[in-house]
Amino acid sequence: MKVCRLRLCILPFLLLCLSAVTAQENQSSRHDPPGLDQAEFERLHAELQPDQAQPWRTIPWKISLLDAQRLAAEQKKPLFIWAMDGHPLGCT
Amino acid sequence: MLDRESTFADPEIVSSLKNDFVPVAIDQAYQRRQKDTEGEFYRGIVQQSPRKDFGDGTTQGLYTASPDGTFLGFSNNRGPERIQAMLKKALADFRPVDSEPVTATQTDARFHPELPFGGLVIRVRAKVLGGYEETDDPWQRIFQSAVSRDNLWLTAAEHRELIQGTIPDRVKTRISRYHLVDNTRGEPPMWQADEVRSMRLEIEPAEPDSQSRTIVGDFHLETLDGARGFTGTIRGVLEHDGQHVTRCDFVAKGEFRGEGRFTGHAPAGRFPFAVSFELADQSDIADQIPPQASRGWIDGYWRVAE
Repeated sequence: MKVCRLRLCILPFLLLCLSAVTAQENQSSRHDPPGLDQAEFERLHAELQPDQAQPWRTIPWKISLLDAQRLAAEQKKPLFIWAMDGHPLGCT
Repeated sequence: MLDRESTFADPEIVSSLKNDFVPVAIDQAYQRRQKDTEGEFYRGIVQQSPRKDFGDGTTQGLYTASPDGTFLGFSNNRGPERIQAMLKKALADFRPVDSEPVTATQTDARFHPELPFGGLVIRVRAKVLGGYEETDDPWQRIFQSAVSRDNLWLTAAEHRELIQGTIPDRVKTRISRYHLVDNTRGEPPMWQADEVRSMRLEIEPAEPDSQSRTIVGDFHLETLDGARGFTGTIRGVLEHDGQHVTRCDFVAKGEFRGEGRFTGHAPAGRFPFAVSFELADQSDIADQIPPQASRGWIDGYWRVAE
């Protein structure tokens, strides 16, 4: 009987602890996903911005070969074609 | 990646391309297959070059040509000295005669995907945050610090759903399979449907009097043999004016492991990796480039979750 009474006393305490932990987890997942809080998001987002001053960005690239051909014909200039597997201004 | 940091970092080459040429950047996997005017014009130049017997293979490289399609030069070398010499020779050989503009009489729709009216372009960039061994190889050093670039496309309907506060399942699938990839060293393998073990991406309810919402999520991507994987969390911000999304910035960060056929020399074991997403404003010409995963298969890109 003493054991049962002890269990009855401990049970509400355990439930209280469990609900507190769950509430904390909910709060945590709502506002601060583990490993990526607001400050870390802002920092990484800035870190992955490209350097706009890179020389290749200053070249007036066309992305349509026919648009480039028309401009080259108009300006009497040769074409320079940067042809890659994957788009050169993108993944390669 | 390598060209940007070598060939196109050379001041003499940059100056010549700005002043003496009309420079164009293309994914030749399109033009060498296109059954249309642009494809014919491109193949006509390639067939005069050392790449003339390309068959089904790549035509990758740097070409110079007259506007009438006469081949002037080719190189697949990234050394600035060689490209300087190639440009000088092209200018010496070029005869600035009148050339007719080529008018497109055919357009191969498979290779001209267009963003649907009312859709969104989200810039996607990725970076390996650590884990590389030190190297004396200058080319590897370029890869090791590279930030990649691709675009995520959303339809007008998906745009509206974002404003309403939900991220459609097909968008979650498109992001996980096609955009949480390591493309910092070349063309990456995309994730197969059964390699997306879990993907949670949600927009939390707005705080009172706020148009800003928090994007949260987590994901687990892994090949069936466990050789390649990416597990992490997502966080960001979504804002709108009731009609249009005005900000959609988020970051996926976690641990990546493994590499693909064209993305070798990844760090050993697990390494920290991040992918950022940013609403494009069309100020960058790369905003107009279709998603890498849509290449020749735009319908598949849209229908990925079906």
